[in-house]
Amino acid sequence: MNENEDLELQALQRQLDDAFQTTRPRSSFEDELWAAMQERRPWWQRARGTLAGVVAGIRAAPRVPATAVALVLIAAIGVGIVSLSKFHLGGGTASSATSAQAPNGARYSGANGALNPLPAPKLADNSFPLPAGSQAESPPQYAGPSKVVWAGSLQVGITRAPVFVDTYLINAGDMFAASLGAVPQQAGRYAGDGFTLTITGNSFQLTPDPTRLPPAKATPAETAHAFLSAHGIVPASPSMVVVEQKGTTTRVRYLRQFLVPGYGFANAIDSAGQRTGIEVDLVNGQPTLVAGPLPLSMTSMGDYPIITADQAVEAALAPSQRSAPVIQQVPTIRLTSAELVYALAGVGNMYYYEPAFLFSGTFSLNGVTYMKRVLVPAVVPSQLSS
Amino acid sequence: MRSKRYTGVGPGVGSNKTANAYDSAVLENRPPFEDLYRDFLGRIYAYVRAQVSTAADAEDITAQVFMNAYQAYDRFETRNTTPAAWLFRIARNATLDHFRAGGRREKLRRTIERQPVKTEDPAGMAEERIQYRALLAHVARLPERQRDAISLRHSGLSFDEVGALMKCSEDAAKMLYHRALKALRESVQEEMV
Repeated sequence: MNENEDLELQALQRQLDDAFQTTRPRSSFEDELWAAMQERRPWWQRARGTLAGVVAGIRAAPRVPATAVALVLIAAIGVGIVSLSKFHLGGGTASSATSAQAPNGARYSGANGALNPLPAPKLADNSFPLPAGSQAESPPQYAGPSKVVWAGSLQVGITRAPVFVDTYLINAGDMFAASLGAVPQQAGRYAGDGFTLTITGNSFQLTPDPTRLPPAKATPAETAHAFLSAHGIVPASPSMVVVEQKGTTTRVRYLRQFLVPGYGFANAIDSAGQRTGIEVDLVNGQPTLVAGPLPLSMTSMGDYPIITADQAVEAALAPSQRSAPVIQQVPTIRLTSAELVYALAGVGNMYYYEPAFLFSGTFSLNGVTYMKRVLVPAVVPSQLSS
Repeated sequence: MRSKRYTGVGPGVGSNKTANAYDSAVLENRPPFEDLYRDFLGRIYAYVRAQVSTAADAEDITAQVFMNAYQAYDRFETRNTTPAAWLFRIARNATLDHFRAGGRREKLRRTIERQPVKTEDPAGMAEERIQYRALLAHVARLPERQRDAISLRHSGLSFDEVGALMKCSEDAAKMLYHRALKALRESVQEEMV
């Protein structure tokens, strides 16, 4: 190796040193990841960390008599037990003191288990009454003050149901676009091989290039599946495929479901209470638009205890906390159906798909037919943080 | 008070100047995980980033590395290895898993590599210095073992640790590194021609 070559290599090494030292993630990544790690930590590790901190503090304090250390340790363990008890109120005993007060006033007995508390899923609080035709669904949804009565039948048959969690990444949209081989064009817009992609929040819209569409298959469902498969976005989770005709557009919907042991498939809903999943619009047998929520890689958090059917009905009928009704007459609405569903609830950068009971019924107001939905978290209130 | 026993490897050309107290140090007590997280997050990210094509992939893998490390930290035995070697082993495995994940990911990687450097990352996705992106892109295109040797060495590991991670002797690691360095120089020069 001559001297010049040696100098070149040394210069390259210095550049590499600088490159590795200055290549760092975006500034918020450290906090986001740390928060996600804390969220995923089992409760016993958090408790152990708390106790370890107490013990470390005691060790650091000089000349503390051993008896005092023992007393503080006993107190710390006691506090730890009390603080942990909020994760499994009741503990299977008959004590009424351990029952939890539900936000809606209903009282439930506590549940066994030591699971992380969850945020409560809710429907979006839309303005009311919603004008006819303001939503894609028919009839439009009513979110105003009302008195509800139960006129249906609800059977549950299970006492526990799984909960799933995923971490929201700030660049989830970019990651999804990259997985399709699409490159960014401008904020929220990407271009791929034969399609354009728009990502807004947690939803995407993929528009195929009409000049580069493959031949249509025998049925709309087969065409939609072939198109999704070609782009690698066939839903990985269980889905019910529904084909709807709206004018000249055929819509193939992949409605997301969750398999609940002992129950069967429960439908996923969005914040409006409507079933959700990837949708493929076809005109003249060819895909014109694919839209839906960004895919989530959900991880099971285990089975959570859920309330009974009677408790769910009681919670659904609890008086609304809404105030200052704008309309003079509060309608009485008969809720006629209910089902176990999975609803999304977020806290921080964590998403949870949680079981819930969705009650629904229709009624008429000023000549317009509305849909009323009430969502009741299925997880026992003692396991909910909000 | 934490007690550390150093193996006497100092920084210099070819090692990372940001090497910290946990580098190449066999510790008697396990440090708080928070310390390792704070000290190594940036370096693990840089190591991963030098091997994958997008900042998004690098964040994804880095997150997996620290999730795995966090869960396994109870089993980390300070007498057997250094925190740096332990963390970089996890990072190396996670990166290899990333590349083994299947043809789809590989297809994506190739797709992105064909794109001009300027379009690889959305603006603001990562706070990387533009002048070094091209250099790291050359590193990413080296053969796997050469890429690994460069990345591990310039992440601050000693040749002994690089050799241990790559399952070869310290001398073999040195030879591999220098071959990689020459290959990198040729790659950079080819582009300049």
